[in-house]
Amino acid sequence: MRNVAIVGVGMNKHTSKRREVNIPEMVYEAVKMAFSETGLTPRDIDAVVTGNMPGFEGVNTPELWGAGYWGGYGKPVLRITTGGTTGSSVAQGAYYMVASGLCDTVLTLAFEKQSDGDTTMGLNSVALGDFASVLAYGADIPALTASMGGAIGLFVYQAMIYMHRSGCTIDHIDRAAAMLRSNACKNRFAHLQQEGVTAQDIAATQMISYPLRFGHTCPASDGACAMLLTTEEKAAKLADRPAWIKGCSSASEEATSLGLFGGGSINIDPAEQRSCKLAANKAYALAGIADPTREIDLAEPYIPFAHLLFIYFERLLLCAEGEAPRLFDEGAMEIAGNLPTCPSGAVMSTNAIGASAMERIAECALQIMGKAGEHQVPRDVHNAVAHGLGGAANLNVVTVLGDRPNRG
Amino acid sequence: MATLPRRVAIVACAQSTYECPKDSSREMMVFDVVHELLRKAGITKRDVDTVISAQNDFLEGRTISNMRTVGPLGAYLKDESKVEMDGAWALLYAYARVLSGNHDIALVAGESMASCYPPYLPATWALDPTFDRPLGLLNELSAAALQAGYYIQAGGASEEQIAGVAAKNLANASRNPYALRRMPGVTAADVLSSKVLYSPIHELEAFPLTDGCCALLLACEEKANEMTDRPVWLAGVGSSSDTYFLGNRDLAASPSLEQAAAAAYKTAGIKDPARDIDLCELSENFAHEELIFYEALGLCPKGKGGEYLESGATRMEGSLPVNPSGGALAANPVCATGLARAAEVALQLRGEAGEHQLPQPVNTALAHGQNGLCAQHNIVFILRSSEAEGVRA
Repeated sequence: MRNVAIVGVGMNKHTSKRREVNIPEMVYEAVKMAFSETGLTPRDIDAVVTGNMPGFEGVNTPELWGAGYWGGYGKPVLRITTGGTTGSSVAQGAYYMVASGLCDTVLTLAFEKQSDGDTTMGLNSVALGDFASVLAYGADIPALTASMGGAIGLFVYQAMIYMHRSGCTIDHIDRAAAMLRSNACKNRFAHLQQEGVTAQDIAATQMISYPLRFGHTCPASDGACAMLLTTEEKAAKLADRPAWIKGCSSASEEATSLGLFGGGSINIDPAEQRSCKLAANKAYALAGIADPTREIDLAEPYIPFAHLLFIYFERLLLCAEGEAPRLFDEGAMEIAGNLPTCPSGAVMSTNAIGASAMERIAECALQIMGKAGEHQVPRDVHNAVAHGLGGAANLNVVTVLGDRPNRG
Repeated sequence: MATLPRRVAIVACAQSTYECPKDSSREMMVFDVVHELLRKAGITKRDVDTVISAQNDFLEGRTISNMRTVGPLGAYLKDESKVEMDGAWALLYAYARVLSGNHDIALVAGESMASCYPPYLPATWALDPTFDRPLGLLNELSAAALQAGYYIQAGGASEEQIAGVAAKNLANASRNPYALRRMPGVTAADVLSSKVLYSPIHELEAFPLTDGCCALLLACEEKANEMTDRPVWLAGVGSSSDTYFLGNRDLAASPSLEQAAAAAYKTAGIKDPARDIDLCELSENFAHEELIFYEALGLCPKGKGGEYLESGATRMEGSLPVNPSGGALAANPVCATGLARAAEVALQLRGEAGEHQLPQPVNTALAHGQNGLCAQHNIVFILRSSEAEGVRA
């Protein structure tokens, strides 16, 4: 198998409304940064692999319109979209284009410009297929939308189940939110930056759906992320310390919590996240990591709601199940901790949906390259794990990165 | 670029019948096709390593459409992903996944149900929202009409020759049990007497709304030889994209298809496509596109698409049959169309096409997929039998 390196990363500052640029222009900011990091130009790339959350900005197949602005003219363009996991699915698509030998150097990018569309309507269309029958009983579309409440309507069940089993408390969730939002203050690309935010501040925010408050949830952002991937031979010339993609895996489960009439699927437990454990096991095996609790130096799980910090720390096999709240209390997940988790501020602080899962990989790459800036962790990062979550909490994508390529 | 690390083959393919409306749910349609695919290959879903689907959320009427087909695709707890383009790009992605060595057996499927969500409206959502969309003039059909009119004016073909493409393909389709539009004995005059949709395009020169699903199974060489004695080898692939704005393009040509074909020919070692290729399956959403594609694929000189059709070379019994299945004019399940082209090529290479099996031997064939207005993005696969690929089973 060919080794694949990330040699350049580009992101732009995420905000809630980028009214002065259109989608191709906004994405170009991240693309330009990735190119200038490496000195490569669009001439040097063999393909563009892209994706975003379909429908959220009201443009179908935006790569047709945009790819020419991003270096895709006269090149293969591949668009991969899988919901919240899109960014990681796209990055893994780019990985496979290089690992297969079909391409040498690939530009991969993901984005969302949520201010152009209606995210909640988009999210509710996920469930509409299941709930359409309810319309026959006299419910109208606005009533249906209100009763489902977008993504959070699903994650509150998960949070309650997890808290019940693990001993995680609402106080833990408040403190997790405060930690992530504080981390985001050090990340120049992050959207929500609340200097000096405390758990008390989070606990005082409006309740959306018990137990999750406004302060526990992600924002809707406009932003983009781009990366340049290349072969081992070319990477040596392009970066002093490239970040290597060492293990790629994903697993798809049945959708959780929706089911017929919103009754939940009887087969799937939304807090178990078996597909994440399966994908993590496979990705670690591909990366030659036998004991992730010791060998992983940094984690970037996909945390759109604060309680997920604990669930995914465990499901990425970074500790035993139910142990995450205790490790959090001990400070392990802080930037200077034993296993820094989401020093970027996580999806909790920055959520341009299509880009979010790619930004997890990009953040791991920046930390390995030593280019994260103010939120660079103090310890050496040899191996890092990035995660993407999507669907109705049923799609999980896991990518393991390292400072050395796989050998043997 | 490195030489490819392993050989990959199509080992089985399955299609639904293409209908509109189809008496099935989307999920049942996908399940039936995937079930038949696995049965044909003699394996179970446990043997599949990875699943790639081609779906478009605007056409599905719900976002994250793959989430709802994890079950029917047999992708439960598998490494699954979705390409939101024509299925031919899903085939490219699955091919890359098997080439990488991470996966040995890949299932690829594309589907759409135009009877639920007709593709015309989603196609206008693909227009740039600041200029083309608010102007309200451009859509798939008006863009195709602009192109057809320009191609006629540039001297590429006459209206009768364009109608001849539709007559050829729809008559071919009468022998394909999966096709939607099956019209034995249809003539160019019949095509020209069908309703004008947007001058110069007639109803029979435009793709029909179609419900359907197509699925393929890919395997690495070792597994392919275990599963079948007639694997269809992926010998070359090329893909390229043109610029978006129609005003910046020469609509009488398709440079992106030329680039895609050149890349595929290079890998497959094809020097003279008209001589070296035995069969083409093209995604001609509109009749005139097939003529532009002939030129871009190098089957005939530039500007001679119409003449080449009239020579009869691309008929079933010609020297280079194009679309014996009927092509996209006979059935266009958006997102499955390019995959269906590869499936049809595989059937012909395996001698399993039934009533529309070509009389002459088929060893090297071309399958094409497209995306976007006036075929903005193009992808070309060269597929070969074991004899032509030089593989001993």
